[in-house]
Amino acid sequence: MGKFIVRRLVLLLLTMLLVSMAVFLITEASPGNVARNVLGAFVTPEQEASFLAQLGLDKPVWQRYVHWLFGSDWKAARKIGLRLKRLVTEKGFVEWWAIDESGRPVRWKLQGDDLVAELRQPDGKTVRKIDNRRWESDPQGGWSFWGVDNANHAVRWQKGTDRKVWTFIMGSGWKQSSGGPEEYLPLKKGFIRGDPGESLRTGRPVGDSLYVRLRNSLVLAGIAFVIVMPLALFLGLLAGLKEGSIRDRVLSVGGMMFSVIPEFATGIFLILIVAVWWQLVPGATVFGEKAPWERPDMLILPVLTLTLIELGYVLRITRASMVEVMRSPYIRTAYLKGLPYWRIITKHAVRNALMAPITVIMLHVNWLMGGIVIVEVVFGYPGLGKYLLDSALYKDINALEAGAMILVIVAVGTQLVADIIYTIINPRIRYT
Amino acid sequence: MNETNETIDSATGTHSAAVDTHANDVIQPEHDVTRPGHWHRLRAGLSILFASRAAVVGLIIVLFWVSAAVLAPLLTPYTPLEQDWKAPNQGPSMAHPLGTDELGRDLWSRLIYGARVVLVILPISESVWLPGGTALWGVFVALVVGTTLGLVSGYFGGWLDEVVMRLLDAMMAVPIILLFLIIMAALGASAVNVVIAITIVGTPGIARLVRSLTLDIRTREYVRAAETRGENPFYIMFAEILPNARGPIIVDAMLRVGYAIFAMGTLGFLGLGLPPPSPDWGSMVAKGREFILEGSPWAALWPSVAIASLVVGLNLLADGLREESMRYQ
Amino acid sequence: MMKKTPDKNPDPVLDVRHLTIAYETRKGEVEAVRDVSFGVREGQTVGLVGESGCGKSTIAFGIVNFLGPNGRINSGKVIFQGNDLVGRLENELKKLRGDRISMVYQDPMQALNPAVRLGDQLVEVLTFHKDISAANAWDRCVEMLRRVYMPDPQDVMRRFTHQISGGQQQRVVIAMAMLNNPALLIMDEPTTALDVTVEAAVLDLLEDLKNEYQTANIFITHNLGVVARVSDYLCVMYAGELVERGDIREIFERPCHPYTMGLLSCVPKLGDSKLDSNLHPIRGRVPPPAKRPKDECIFAPRCNYATDQCRQGRPALLEVGGDHLARCIYAGEIDSRPRTRRSQRRARQVEALAQSIKPAEPLLGFDQLKVYYPQQSNSLVSLIGLGEKKFVKAVDDVSLRLAKGRTLGVVGESGCGKSTLVKGIIGLEQVTEGQIEFLGIDVTQPVSGRDASLIREMQMVFQNPDSTLNPSYSIGKQIARPIRKFKTVPKKRVKEEVIRLLKAVRLSATYYDRLPRQLSGGEKQRVGIARALASRPDLIICDEPVSALDVSVQAAVINLLLDIQQSFGSSMIFIAHDLSVVRFFSDDIAVMYLGQIVELGPAEAIYDPPYHPYTEALLSAVPIPDPDAEQTEIRLNGNVPSALDPPSGCRFHTRCPRRKEMLADGGLICEQQVPPWQSNGRGHRILCHIPIEMLKTIDPVVHANGDGSSLQPVE
Repeated sequence: MGKFIVRRLVLLLLTMLLVSMAVFLITEASPGNVARNVLGAFVTPEQEASFLAQLGLDKPVWQRYVHWLFGSDWKAARKIGLRLKRLVTEKGFVEWWAIDESGRPVRWKLQGDDLVAELRQPDGKTVRKIDNRRWESDPQGGWSFWGVDNANHAVRWQKGTDRKVWTFIMGSGWKQSSGGPEEYLPLKKGFIRGDPGESLRTGRPVGDSLYVRLRNSLVLAGIAFVIVMPLALFLGLLAGLKEGSIRDRVLSVGGMMFSVIPEFATGIFLILIVAVWWQLVPGATVFGEKAPWERPDMLILPVLTLTLIELGYVLRITRASMVEVMRSPYIRTAYLKGLPYWRIITKHAVRNALMAPITVIMLHVNWLMGGIVIVEVVFGYPGLGKYLLDSALYKDINALEAGAMILVIVAVGTQLVADIIYTIINPRIRYT
Repeated sequence: MNETNETIDSATGTHSAAVDTHANDVIQPEHDVTRPGHWHRLRAGLSILFASRAAVVGLIIVLFWVSAAVLAPLLTPYTPLEQDWKAPNQGPSMAHPLGTDELGRDLWSRLIYGARVVLVILPISESVWLPGGTALWGVFVALVVGTTLGLVSGYFGGWLDEVVMRLLDAMMAVPIILLFLIIMAALGASAVNVVIAITIVGTPGIARLVRSLTLDIRTREYVRAAETRGENPFYIMFAEILPNARGPIIVDAMLRVGYAIFAMGTLGFLGLGLPPPSPDWGSMVAKGREFILEGSPWAALWPSVAIASLVVGLNLLADGLREESMRYQ
Repeated sequence: MMKKTPDKNPDPVLDVRHLTIAYETRKGEVEAVRDVSFGVREGQTVGLVGESGCGKSTIAFGIVNFLGPNGRINSGKVIFQGNDLVGRLENELKKLRGDRISMVYQDPMQALNPAVRLGDQLVEVLTFHKDISAANAWDRCVEMLRRVYMPDPQDVMRRFTHQISGGQQQRVVIAMAMLNNPALLIMDEPTTALDVTVEAAVLDLLEDLKNEYQTANIFITHNLGVVARVSDYLCVMYAGELVERGDIREIFERPCHPYTMGLLSCVPKLGDSKLDSNLHPIRGRVPPPAKRPKDECIFAPRCNYATDQCRQGRPALLEVGGDHLARCIYAGEIDSRPRTRRSQRRARQVEALAQSIKPAEPLLGFDQLKVYYPQQSNSLVSLIGLGEKKFVKAVDDVSLRLAKGRTLGVVGESGCGKSTLVKGIIGLEQVTEGQIEFLGIDVTQPVSGRDASLIREMQMVFQNPDSTLNPSYSIGKQIARPIRKFKTVPKKRVKEEVIRLLKAVRLSATYYDRLPRQLSGGEKQRVGIARALASRPDLIICDEPVSALDVSVQAAVINLLLDIQQSFGSSMIFIAHDLSVVRFFSDDIAVMYLGQIVELGPAEAIYDPPYHPYTEALLSAVPIPDPDAEQTEIRLNGNVPSALDPPSGCRFHTRCPRRKEMLADGGLICEQQVPPWQSNGRGHRILCHIPIEMLKTIDPVVHANGDGSSLQPVE
């Protein structure tokens, strides 16, 4: 038991590591970049380079991976020579500050040749002062300084340069400013320290938007799961009771049909029939700011689609298992003990018949997630799947990584749960 | 046949026989044993197939699509890219048996040319293509890789098995959709990349299946006989074990072709399939979906039906074969 | 042991009359059982004996009308306690099943539900048939478990199937069957899956229960020895028909159907040797149900006595004595004398062979051979590789010599290490310690490290006919493979050589193109032998070559192996669990227990005192196909200990029935010291602390009446 759990946890970590690396490498290997995806094809090379540098995308991939995984603040702190601190403002924005020698949070700006320090007061306001004493001479004979800017980067300023910087502000477009640094190091705590970073596409923390999306997906999957499981297990047992009977044939062929028709096809058939022809419920989901459970009518079709697909699969697995059990010698023994039919089924058959499917079904969660993505796309449902698809298409690496990690955790987690359940219901494993 | 061995002792009335001589009789096979050879095996296979009604129905569906795909140019006067701007989004008519899409392209022709890509040709570039459909290639490559991994892992066991299996476990733990998304997002939309995606997704499952079959078969005595002859491991894996694992592998491969078609559809639907003008079933659905609510469902409907029917056909075929061959044994 | 004649109660508990059972198949209806009649009285055990596929089990399930969806009783009556069960409603039958009629099955592991506690499985038999409280039922079950000599019954009630041993599982099944004190107990091969010492204990138990409860028993088996031990009355089944029935002694003394005669003369009796007796196989095989002759004697195609008259019509059951009937038109006329004709020919040949080879010329030898398997532990510590490594000591400290031309038999129950020993010799298993010498060359390394010229000299014949041949290749190809590999003949002559080998195993050349699945078990086994012969080996290792075959086919394969040994002059190692077969086949015998050889010597010396106490127990347990044979009852306690952690001192001390009575201080020395090898001359050695002089005083375990065979013709 303990061995199982440890094994699975090791597997989980290994998988997460491999997947996260793969995501980085593959995204790296692919043509195009997030700048083009976000900014459109008409961005100038200058703007693109500036945008990428600010996101740290000009760094080699292994470095970015290390920063993503372990964070970059420790590295920046070493360069700056000051402690760094991550603050969350009252409005919910994340701000990185250096803590100066007297313990006050500080950030800098370059104005002309002057370094301007912004000191954060306890009341949240800032006080400015010239802070040129921090310039350090560099080997090339110039003066440079590593500090923190006001957009959560550790940056290196070079005295005497007046670099033009293009900043892209969501909603208002490009803004050119001067006083840009030579080098950017975006500050983050790193994934293993609980910071998945910010979306490259929206600039907002990945965690926040993921939370809503994940919640929506869980609502969808949860409702479908609660409907499918009892129904499919029951129908599967029913079909497997008497192999080859009419009931068995109808249920297993029907189940097979539904389980092999692609989700989008099922979804479209349902939209066509229920939403277009019968006009019973909406054919798409538009929640706006509302939570899914506030518009249950919009949930009906997505849930129905998922239910139909999963129903068939689980039903077939359960049926196969039940058929095998019903053929087994111990069921024959039960018959020849003269037990009533219902007793044979409930006491001797069902439990054994449910053992095998539970693991298989749990493993199938992996497949189910694919189904959810498709269903979300078909119905425009604002869930995790759609988020992932969009992130992948935009090469929004932070969002993609975070979403991928959630999927891996769910997939491996369900396998762990499956193992535990299997151990509990199978005495052959429990008592050895 | 044994008259010579018999004597009836009329004097004593006892009936006796010289039993000893029988020990040296050469055994003749029974007369009605069917002739062996490839033809015989094929016939045996077909008889299994035809014993199952489900398998026959599946076969008919599959054959329908294969022949439609092969004969596509003969079955329609239109090319799949030919636009008729005067007749967009039409329902079925004499001119267009299945209707037209939003650009007035003939749906029947797009459908069967779409089947071509799935089942008959693998387009490598604009002008170069390989025989064998995209779905088939994906499964084939996965089959080669997975079978080799499974055989090696199952036969040698030990740390090699442990390493291979842990890696495959990790691969299997990655949600399939995520793999698809990452692979396609990275590699871009093309038929070859679809093959790669299907291969990567299919390999762990095949390897596990072959491994479990290998673990079973390697305990058989004919494998031990080969080992006592000092055969090398590769002969044992590929000549002694693999041929006896082929039944389940074939059934599994059929199911996998179904899933590959399923996956192709899904990729196409997500915009990750073949690049736009080509008649890709999944992207046809994705495009046609926009017009369902406007009252012309045909463009989305037919490719959905096509994918569904083909996958159902393959599943019926595989299930029927599996059940019958189990009964046969 | 003497059988008590049951009270002559005129009304049998069960009366089966002209029962015909058919199965619906794809190819139409097939009769699996045809026109079978017999009766069972109170306190009587009726043995149903026959080879596989002859309809024994179908009768058993037909009696309780549990034939599955495609089986049905076509005609006949099953009269149980005066009422016909055929055509009764399922609900009425349900009341009888498990209450008045119960069953014991072949494989107890499969017959018990793995997910339900044994107690619950037992209790429900009572609570559903009787008006009884659960607590009361529980107590009754514990009592019944105690009655079947189950150690610690309270605890067993709370356990699951996999937590108790095979013998104990069968005791649970028997207890379950006896709970409601049934009038009829049907046992379908109840001991076939068990080891011989466990089997003996279960058979004792069944005898006890019969005497106590006076149940009417039907005992189905293919083993003539078992049936001779337990039955009062015998029904011989062949191909779905009852060919002979009668009192057990009557049939063993005076079999009247050629099939029964054939069955009796094709198994060696304990003590028979190839030097002094011959086995007479029945040729051909049992026809599959669809191909059985309808209107002629069903046995005619295989019968040595068959005449045209036999093919004129189906013979009726002829009465040949009091309640002794046989379905043969020549019943009573056929002289069974030829069966007991001793084979002088073979004895001469064997002796000539023995003389032609210098006795001391060694072929194979090894000292203190050890084969250990590392055991995977489930603890967390060992997961990361820190735990103490444990080893299964499958073969521990075994020494042997095999001379050219001799046959060494290795016997022992499952798990004694005999198969591992062979794997070590042939190089399939890494030898942990010790050195194997073959033809004077060191062959300790696994097969991959051996020279091809050595590999070809050592070949193997396997146990299971269904897996010995690769299903994917034709017979010819499979025999040709070793020929090509070892280049025994030039390439052009390979096919010729294959056909020569087929002839050598008595198969015609037409088998060349066949696939294995077109062959019967015996034929496959012959091909397996031909394949082993293909490289012309000096040593052939036979791993239970006949134990998976039907009785009538076994004899043919044994004869074949003997013939081959004569004509090829090969040495053999012959592994088997059947002591009669090993005795028959071997010149020398090694008895193994828990990874060690405990007794070693010439075959004839092993089967007479002095015995190793384990050998004695084995001999006492082996079922002898002779109802009059008497064996001293020696039963072993407990289970075979784990080879992971074998007992200290003498490995057998935990179960040894002799040490307490024959050694001072109750055999304390057996627990503390490894026993010495004691010699009894002529190469006969025993690994035991009990002095050989004392072992010599033990009476022989087996006392067969007359000169050791009840099969002397009745004058």
